[in-house]
Amino acid sequence: MADLRSKVSRRRFGKSVAQAGAAAAAPMLVSGPLSGQTAATTAAQAPSPPAGGAGAQPAPGPVVVAKYGLLDKIRFGGIGIRNRGIVDLGQLLTNDEVEFVAVADIRESARETIKSYVDGYYKRDACQMYRDPEQLLARKDIDAVLIATSDRWHGPMGIWAAQAGKDIYSEKPAAMSILESYALADNVRRYGVVYQSGCQRKNQFTYEYAAGLARSGKLGRLLAVHADTQIGLGMVDQGGHGWWPEEKPEPDPLVLDWDKWLGPCLWRPYNSRYPDGGRTQFWDFHAALLEWGSHTIAAAQWAADTEHTEPIEYVPEGGVFRGDGLTGPYTVTCRYVNGVQLIVRNHGWVVGGRGACSNRFEGTEGWVEVDSGGRIEMSPNLKSLLPTRQGIRYDPTAEHIREFLHSIRSRIQPRANAEVTAHAHVACHAVWIAGQLNRKLTWDPAKRTFIGDEEANRMRSRAYREPWRLEALATSM
Amino acid sequence: MDAAKLVAMVRDPNSTLFQKALACKKLAFVGGPEAVAPMAALLGHRELACYARFGLEPNPDPSVDEALRAALPKLKGRLLVGVIHSIGFRKDAKALDALARLIGDRDPEVAGAAAASVGMIGGLQAAKTLEAALKSTKPPVFPVVARACLLCAEGLMPASRTRAVELYTRLTAASMPEPVQLAARRVLNAVGPAPEGASKWPPPPPPV
Repeated sequence: MADLRSKVSRRRFGKSVAQAGAAAAAPMLVSGPLSGQTAATTAAQAPSPPAGGAGAQPAPGPVVVAKYGLLDKIRFGGIGIRNRGIVDLGQLLTNDEVEFVAVADIRESARETIKSYVDGYYKRDACQMYRDPEQLLARKDIDAVLIATSDRWHGPMGIWAAQAGKDIYSEKPAAMSILESYALADNVRRYGVVYQSGCQRKNQFTYEYAAGLARSGKLGRLLAVHADTQIGLGMVDQGGHGWWPEEKPEPDPLVLDWDKWLGPCLWRPYNSRYPDGGRTQFWDFHAALLEWGSHTIAAAQWAADTEHTEPIEYVPEGGVFRGDGLTGPYTVTCRYVNGVQLIVRNHGWVVGGRGACSNRFEGTEGWVEVDSGGRIEMSPNLKSLLPTRQGIRYDPTAEHIREFLHSIRSRIQPRANAEVTAHAHVACHAVWIAGQLNRKLTWDPAKRTFIGDEEANRMRSRAYREPWRLEALATSM
Repeated sequence: MDAAKLVAMVRDPNSTLFQKALACKKLAFVGGPEAVAPMAALLGHRELACYARFGLEPNPDPSVDEALRAALPKLKGRLLVGVIHSIGFRKDAKALDALARLIGDRDPEVAGAAAASVGMIGGLQAAKTLEAALKSTKPPVFPVVARACLLCAEGLMPASRTRAVELYTRLTAASMPEPVQLAARRVLNAVGPAPEGASKWPPPPPPV
């Protein structure tokens, strides 16, 4: 603190002023657990707690909003970081609010890669490695976690982290089933942690702009929101689901723990093609159309202001149906209770092709179309609304993580919080189920059930393999 | 493939591991009462037990609950843990007595699974069981019991509000895991009323 007083930059001056103001307004605004670092700082600087006798005055201490002092770093651990997770990690490391202190992974090589990366960045040998994420989550000095495992572990790991009181940035898709989507959101709410799913489109200029047009009424009365899921449905007994690759000897658990790699998924004999990149061919390990749907359907719900519910009707059309799931180009037309349509396609509609994750929002006065490439198209009558500068403009992942860090301090949930993520995921899963059965489904968002379709209702969950469990309430289903 | 053929595939001793696994997977969506016994027979199979549970859990037929309860005394270790979880998922209140006994099991995974399932089943009997377990268990089972208690309290709202508030209040004790304490405090703050009696803290200084 003394150092800060003598050397106050403009940015820190703002913080100091805010701190001083907050101190005057609420001298003991302390709630929530203190992180190890914060607790240590507080213990060193704060006076002894009042003895409780009348007349004892609480001496002013450093202001702590929620879990963190304004100047304290947020201590992160990472779980299952490879590929996309390394992009997230890079953004965390370059943020001076963050100190990354530990990594957990069932792969020895991944643990060592991340430790080497983190220690190289900080120029020290301090990043702790764990095989078991529970050991990382048990550390009281870790405030938040980056979860970037494969799909099947996002939900359980998010729930464990919430139960351990950690704030969570989790790659998407957040959950493998309707039940898991709700259970994750319920646990985040129950334990009062901050959650951001890796739906970084919510902090990408093109999507913000387009959703803003729809939400502000500039497209007129909203009629339909379109979402591109690009990839197919993922069927139970076709393609990669109707076979097991040849059984190979399991590796040493210290090198790769196959049992934990499988996690809550159904058992199957080991073959290196799963952990080496072939997992997405297998429904057991993959959330099917949520690969992109978790971006585009989330953006569509955002634009339609239906983030806290799901469509009530799902009508699959097109494609080829041979008894188990649609193949080929298909469309599932969904309808919200207010009549707005959500049109989900696994085939692009943009002529010439642009970036990935296309969305289109249509109103009575015009339409807007966006994708991850940063371009925005609008109906001719609304061309005057086109922004003068297009393109990506700023890094959506960096912005998304920045919003998460801000939320950690404010305790106000960010844009891709657990609740809106759950609703978007449930819509995705319901689309998948409608395509799987190739029939119209009616959904009751309040009861979280398909009306009059037992087979569809049975598809709302996937039993966890022992010994893992999904702790969920009756209200989750 | 219809359910009868899938059931026959599960029953057939000549079916491969893969065929049985895939049949159970499909029976999860289409299996009726006739699918229960063949899949229940796999609950003790090291590799296929998870497929059997995958097939049984969403099946609404009450014979599934009976089969799962009947499997409890026959299994140990992980396989028992799996069946306990399926019972919790199905919220089978008839299993509460058996689960209460299993909270005292020497295997902490079994004891924790039983506590978690009691919390998921919920209700007044579950609350009583978990409250007793808060006194009788130690880590690593105790934190699971505390979380189960939290879940159970949430399930008691709003119908049994008074009992739920009692449970939440108990969960604010310093001996509870910190995330559970905080979760319980937040609920109590939200549902009110505030605790009786004056604040033990001295008043703020008068305005200058």
